[in-house]
Amino acid sequence: MQNVKHAVIACAGYGSRLGLNIPKCMVKVNERTLLGYLLELTKDIDDVRVVVGFEEDSVIEEVRRFNPNAVIVRNPNYRTTSIGYSYHLATRDLAEPFLIIDGDLAIHKDDFAAFLAAIKPNESLLAVAKAQSEDAVFAKIENSEVVEISRTAKSDYEWANIAYLSGIKIGDTSRFIFNDLAAALPIKSKELRCFDVDTSDDLSQMLHNFDSLGYEEEK
Amino acid sequence: MKTAYCFDLDGTVTRDEILPVLSRHIGLYDEIEALTQATINGYIPFNSSFKLRVRLLSEIPISTVRDIIARVPLYKKTSQFIQEHKDQCFLITGNLDCWIQGLVDKLGLRAFTSISKREGDKLLGIEKILNKGDAVDAIRAMGFEKIVAVGDGMGDVPMFERADVGIAYSGVHSPVRTLKELSNFIVFNEEALCRTLNTL
Repeated sequence: MQNVKHAVIACAGYGSRLGLNIPKCMVKVNERTLLGYLLELTKDIDDVRVVVGFEEDSVIEEVRRFNPNAVIVRNPNYRTTSIGYSYHLATRDLAEPFLIIDGDLAIHKDDFAAFLAAIKPNESLLAVAKAQSEDAVFAKIENSEVVEISRTAKSDYEWANIAYLSGIKIGDTSRFIFNDLAAALPIKSKELRCFDVDTSDDLSQMLHNFDSLGYEEEK
Repeated sequence: MKTAYCFDLDGTVTRDEILPVLSRHIGLYDEIEALTQATINGYIPFNSSFKLRVRLLSEIPISTVRDIIARVPLYKKTSQFIQEHKDQCFLITGNLDCWIQGLVDKLGLRAFTSISKREGDKLLGIEKILNKGDAVDAIRAMGFEKIVAVGDGMGDVPMFERADVGIAYSGVHSPVRTLKELSNFIVFNEEALCRTLNTL
């Protein structure tokens, strides 16, 4: 039985640093989009919400194809707002804890299942990964809790842009989610393997390593 | 907060569009379907198209239309949500008062409809076509603080403009572009619709 009731996948941004002119979640690996993989990973969660903005029609069709039970949340102001605002739109009415996932992630299949399994309904949990992104948000960990989260204080781990939030609301003025998280520290953490694709170097790294993410049988 | 849920009828609460069902009854399916498609696609304003379609259908006795509409299949979960929240749910439809009365009674909610002119069992025409935006204003005046609108067509645009939350329903057909662009949420089935309504 799935203990996570709500999951939000943020896909509204236009990925200016990658510059592909498609939403980052629509990047394809082995004939499937990153969003397709994420919708597969979250298929057992009752309420999956996908925030759309840039090129919304293509993203909406992809959601309908992979999970017609999911709900589309529109962020028409995606050009002038941040991902924090997208999460705000999708979660402002939710009374229960929720999972947030950036739509530009390629996540290790089994690690994600283990992350879901580790979630306790009323306790926030942050996913962390070995620091590797060009533009990492570092997470300092002590006794498996994140005690500091920052762009400047380097550490071996970074926040993986995946979090289960209980009792933490994302406000409409939120710019960077990690600021909202920083205010709620310490928060328990769990490591997983994933790649995000903010830049073209990130994209090359993700494509080069995709075979290590446990999706081999789905090729 | 006191929330009102406003539902379009055709394709949102009913699985099938109602006028095409009626048109089959008098053998004018192709004619009325052409008008319906042109309206859905935004080529003909809803009001003109609706007047014309009602004119074509007015030869059917009102009681017969009412019986046919009462048998149009409904979305089960959506109907269940309505019945569980009767005091907060409103049907907002351009369809005629005399035609849908049976359906309204069955669902047990309050309705805003177009007003018909009639004489006994004979439909003479339309007295007033509903502006769905006016219906939202009337509901707000009842004291509801948050108004959620659910619909899929051009006729729902004024309702979405004045509601606080718009949910475009992409069931029978995709919502028209203008409505989609006014919406906060888009859902593809009644399960997702009811799940979302329960959080609002």
